[in-house]
Amino acid sequence: MKTDHELIKEFQDGNHVAFDELVKRHLPETYGFFCKFTADEIEAEDLAQDVFIKMFKALKKFRFESEFKTYLFRANINMSNTYLRRNKWRNLLHLDQAPEPGYLDTSHEDGWKRKELWDAVAKLPSRQRMVVTMRIAQEMPYKEIASIIGISENSAKVNYHHAVKALKEKLQD
Amino acid sequence: MNIEQRFQQISQSNFETPDGDSFIAKLHGERQKRHVKKMGIIYGVTAAAFVAVFGLMTTNQLTDDPAAYASNDLKLLEVMDSETEEYVYDLAEYLVESSDDIWETLAFLDNIEFEPVTTMNDGGIQ
Repeated sequence: MKTDHELIKEFQDGNHVAFDELVKRHLPETYGFFCKFTADEIEAEDLAQDVFIKMFKALKKFRFESEFKTYLFRANINMSNTYLRRNKWRNLLHLDQAPEPGYLDTSHEDGWKRKELWDAVAKLPSRQRMVVTMRIAQEMPYKEIASIIGISENSAKVNYHHAVKALKEKLQD
Repeated sequence: MNIEQRFQQISQSNFETPDGDSFIAKLHGERQKRHVKKMGIIYGVTAAAFVAVFGLMTTNQLTDDPAAYASNDLKLLEVMDSETEEYVYDLAEYLVESSDDIWETLAFLDNIEFEPVTTMNDGGIQ
């Protein structure tokens, strides 16, 4: 099986099938990330699509300095930040009158709690938001989070600690 | 329920990944759609810039100096009876007033050698 870097090299040489292979390989984790993030399969598919469209352009200039998985995850985090910002404005303008999504199996939880949680996450400072998003959506180890964001492992832990503290205060109000 | 339990619930939620092939087909469809849209915007902006530059260049060629147009005014007019002349002038005035593209109208009048109108520099037909 070809590595991600081999596929990217082929894509840069003009083989678009290699890009498709890369998408197929990383679709489950990307889609899963956005599913957990939005609790809406359609929204998750749209966000995953946006990320891969950006990848199609960005990979032509990929310099093989990091793992593709790390690169992709950074793109996911950036996209989730964009989504949170967009939703913040949408909520502000009362454009969120559509019924709550019910596509996922969320029968074991209250749908609004998830929304409430992500709304609170959206209000966290940028670094805390990234760390907590990676922990919630992927259960990612601190070491990996640290390498994706470019901070130390301890700094990732401190950011997570502050984020959880802030979320507790916010959600228990 | 505490916050760590909520985190756990979210990270353990179930979902079914969409079919890879249909996702890729939709992905490329959307990518091409966006590309076409982007190119449309680029072409639109380029055309607008071209029109603006062309407009500025042609406007700069206009002058208020009557001497620039005077020599043509001295040419003899073909002799027309007064009724025909009035009709022709009315028609020319209509063409000039109702034109969407004054340059095209002036070029037309030039083509049919209706010089009194094309060389007028007093702002309208008398």
